[in-house]
Amino acid sequence: MKISRIYLAALIAVSCMVATLISISGAAFSQSATPADPTDAGKHVFQRANCMGCHKWHGNGGGGYGGDALSLRQTQLTREQIVETVSCGRPGTGMPFFVRGSYDATKCYDMLRKDAGDQMPPEANVFLRPSEIEAVADYVIAHIKGKGEPTYDECTAFFGNGSRVCNVYKTEAKPAEAEQAKKAAQ
Amino acid sequence: MKRNARILRRANLFATAVAIAGLVGTIPALAADEVTQDRLLNADKEAGNWLLHHKNYSAHRFSSLHEINRDTVKNLKVAWTMHLGGVEGGGIWTHGGLEGTPIVENGFMYVTDGWGSVYKIDAHGGKGTLLWKMDPKTDHDWAGAVACCGVDNRGVALWGDLVVSHTLDGRLIATNKETGQVAWQRQVADPDKGEVITGAPLIVKDMAITGVAGAEYGIRGWIAATDLKTQKEVWRTYTIPGKGEPGHETWKDDKNAAATGGGSTWVTGSYDPATDTIIWGVGNPGPDWDNAYRPGDNLYTDSSLALDATTGKIKWHYQHTPNDPYDYDSVAENVLVDVPGKNGPQKLALEADRNGFAYAIDRTTGKFVWGLPFVKKVTWTKGIDPESGKPVEYDPKKPVQTYAVTPNRTDKTTDICPGNMGGKNWPPTAYNPDLKLWYIPVIESCNRITPEAMTPDKIKPREFFTGGGPSQPFKITGSVTAIDVTTGKIAGKAEMPYPNLGGILATPDLVFSGQPSGEVLALDGKTLQKLWEFNTGGGVNAPPMTFTVDGKQYVAILVGLGGAWDKWFIDSTPELKKMQPGSMLYVFSL
Repeated sequence: MKISRIYLAALIAVSCMVATLISISGAAFSQSATPADPTDAGKHVFQRANCMGCHKWHGNGGGGYGGDALSLRQTQLTREQIVETVSCGRPGTGMPFFVRGSYDATKCYDMLRKDAGDQMPPEANVFLRPSEIEAVADYVIAHIKGKGEPTYDECTAFFGNGSRVCNVYKTEAKPAEAEQAKKAAQ
Repeated sequence: MKRNARILRRANLFATAVAIAGLVGTIPALAADEVTQDRLLNADKEAGNWLLHHKNYSAHRFSSLHEINRDTVKNLKVAWTMHLGGVEGGGIWTHGGLEGTPIVENGFMYVTDGWGSVYKIDAHGGKGTLLWKMDPKTDHDWAGAVACCGVDNRGVALWGDLVVSHTLDGRLIATNKETGQVAWQRQVADPDKGEVITGAPLIVKDMAITGVAGAEYGIRGWIAATDLKTQKEVWRTYTIPGKGEPGHETWKDDKNAAATGGGSTWVTGSYDPATDTIIWGVGNPGPDWDNAYRPGDNLYTDSSLALDATTGKIKWHYQHTPNDPYDYDSVAENVLVDVPGKNGPQKLALEADRNGFAYAIDRTTGKFVWGLPFVKKVTWTKGIDPESGKPVEYDPKKPVQTYAVTPNRTDKTTDICPGNMGGKNWPPTAYNPDLKLWYIPVIESCNRITPEAMTPDKIKPREFFTGGGPSQPFKITGSVTAIDVTTGKIAGKAEMPYPNLGGILATPDLVFSGQPSGEVLALDGKTLQKLWEFNTGGGVNAPPMTFTVDGKQYVAILVGLGGAWDKWFIDSTPELKKMQPGSMLYVFSL
């Protein structure tokens, strides 16, 4: 027992040192490169919680086999309302609740499970912590809410360049527009 | 080095086997390795092998092997298992699943996972040894974002010394059977248009026949043939006729609905060598639930299509649900059977449609012979006409059909039975030619459709174009339903708590199937009484098959619930929410 405790303590000490080193080097790196987007954590939550499963990567949602997921691009919801919707889901729809204990330990929209009845929203596949929900709300507000049609740059910002998923947004109209712009300029 | 030694050792064994076979003279010397058209035509003569996706060209999924039978099946137990990969998500999917049928040749098994990796497994010696894995590096997000109904791949085909397979991102890939190295690949479908591939290829006369998925994304469906020797396309037949082609007049709108008319072909078809005809099922029209967008019968959606195998030309079609407002695909396999009829032998094509009716069509003329509901509850029509097989409400003069119950632009919601997932979806049927019984894996279902009026401006590349969506307020169960093909009547129904999402294998006196709650089952072929059951602990979403190695019979099945069910339809079977994603091969023996 003693030995293993000592061993554990040593292991923790080493891990802490490693963690410190990583955070130092991370800080050094971010100083020399472009500052990271503060909403990257929220983008990660958007992916991990599979928001894109219904709302799509671009947030436009739309009809389909899963029914009609609302457009986050056209949403009027405030940051607080987005946090509430993610935490509690939307009663009577497929939008799940992402906080453990919603409708049981804590009321949602002033309802417990028995009050919600058949309007009870589904439970999400993953539960999120409050900080994660705030992060995803910040991401939606910074990158999705109020935006027009999805663009190639937005798509590659979401997926990176490793997939052909964004090719479809490379509009052929672009060269023509450039041509027209040139003509207009002449 | 080790691998080379093993290959050499096997080559020696093989040489010895060929020498012995040559001496005994019972097995053709070629039989051991090269897969030829002749071997595929005679697939049933190689009783211990499973060479074609549906076992034979007639899609019977019947094996004559009988070591495992009504008396011995109680002793069936797990022989070996193997964990596979491909469970990761991509696009709109959180995980992949397994829907494939293993192919077995001379004791070597070829299976795929949902992302299209191919695994070659040596099944000799009562155990499974993975020889190689070919990972096609499928573009997960490109394909997964436009796969309507899951990260799925239903298996490989064999030709020459190659393993031929598809990927979700639209490729046809030929892999060297010995080494697992990719010999060549060809892009057949285009995910930029919303096209993906989930079905296994069908090999006919040195061609690989490919079907496409994507009718929920505004595609124009097709069936394509690739010459395996030149790797060039031989023909591509569109399932939605173009301007000037017969059938184009069944798209009566003024907004070119045919261009995005759907008609996908994502289930492997069958082949009749006597007439050199490929028979292939065609899926739903798009948009799925707004049939007012596309007045007319919308050929060749919801049809069985007979094609000249050499040219791809359409010989005949039979449409089941004209101007479909339900998403009642007819992608199902056509089972080719010859049975005695009143006026001599009948050459039939059997199809169990998503609309809940089973159809027998004369496969030389494409004419309706008989049909009946195989589900317990049908509400969308009062029945089918005994002469034509069309729904009794069908009026060819009406541009937009109104059946007994029809989702439409006026009513907010409409409840339909069967539900849009169908009375039977892709999971394959099986046919016992001795008992003349045809076994259907049934989804006993209803669901609710909320239609949405579509306009051309709603068409966007790679976005759903469905004209509404389904929801699941009703409990859904399942059954195995047997039809006596000599009478066209139901011979039995084994009801089960969950929908049948895997399909069926028939042997001389048994029927094998599974449940998405984990059970693999053996039923008595005549009475459908349950004789054996094993719980795999994972959702069964793939068909069982059987083979022999070293003279011993095995039953194999892939287990891993994925596909459409656990994303889109799970609310109708809430108990299945606890089933975990998985990727596992089970092999049973006595």
